[in-house]
Amino acid sequence: MHETSIVNSIMKTLEVEFEEEKLNKMIAIYLKVGKLSNIEPRLLHNAFTAKHYCGTKFHHVKLHIESTEIKIQCESCNHITQIENYKFTCENCHKPSKNLIQGEEMLIHKIEFND
Amino acid sequence: MSVDKSTKAARGTVQCENTNINLLKANDYVADIIKSEMKKNKTLLINVTSSAGSGKTTLMQKTAEKLKDKITMAVMVGDLETERDAERIRETGIQALQIVTGGICHLEAQMVHQVLPEYQLENIDLLFIENVGNLVCPASFDLGEDYRVTLMATTEGDDKPKKYPRMFLTSDLMLVSKSDLLPYLPFSVDAVIKDAKEVNHQIEVMQISALKDEGIDAWCDWLLEKVKQKQNN
Repeated sequence: MHETSIVNSIMKTLEVEFEEEKLNKMIAIYLKVGKLSNIEPRLLHNAFTAKHYCGTKFHHVKLHIESTEIKIQCESCNHITQIENYKFTCENCHKPSKNLIQGEEMLIHKIEFND
Repeated sequence: MSVDKSTKAARGTVQCENTNINLLKANDYVADIIKSEMKKNKTLLINVTSSAGSGKTTLMQKTAEKLKDKITMAVMVGDLETERDAERIRETGIQALQIVTGGICHLEAQMVHQVLPEYQLENIDLLFIENVGNLVCPASFDLGEDYRVTLMATTEGDDKPKKYPRMFLTSDLMLVSKSDLLPYLPFSVDAVIKDAKEVNHQIEVMQISALKDEGIDAWCDWLLEKVKQKQNN
């Protein structure tokens, strides 16, 4: 259910960001979603496809989703740790940290237009 | 067969635009508006989340009984259908409005913002948003709250923080609720705290039973302290 909200939000955002003429030339949207973002790429694809059937301006657009790992940077030793098992601890100095540098993002990071 | 060169050349070019637009930009924009409304009126806004049936509404009732003579509080409650929760909370004598999401599994900032004009914020010290019972989707939507409080009922099992990490990562306080049932359940408070702290080492933890009035005074003191901080800011 929340994937549908996210698809709506993507469409609204792009409609604000780009002019009609440009939107019609759009051929692909590239998303970056972190493993902590609670977005399931497959469900988001389904929600996006389902939206096409409701007739949107985006029926000719392809959606690409890249899933990114969870990473923290330690505040004490600056070491970067990739988080496994949701244990938010620096692997170098073993201090707990919430300083996320990757994994929470939900970004539209690239858009392709047909010229 | 010959290829028509003119059409071939026109198709191949692709223009790229690199962006970094947040997918929830629309939500976060409205969340910021809510935040500034709360700041202006010095109203503390708390987003209460949990699974369905972990005791959010009972906690709202109990909190209202304890605090309504000390501060002005109000509740906004989200559910897929019915006005049952708002009715239960209104019985305690405080203002409570229901947001019926009509099938949506979480509250979005836009929904909260739409209801805000119904509240006289300048007279309200503490406003609770009782979110839809769900540990997944509500975690992603900022409602402009000062604090996020997540209930974790003993009946749910002690393995939830690792199963739903984003909710616990974004919460400021975890309330282990229905603690009066602990003697009858295979639930380890130590295990749940250990997992929650592995996800979020800054999360505060309290143990409560709204039904038996255990730990509620400590919870109310926590709230009063936060209300005071908000008003002095």
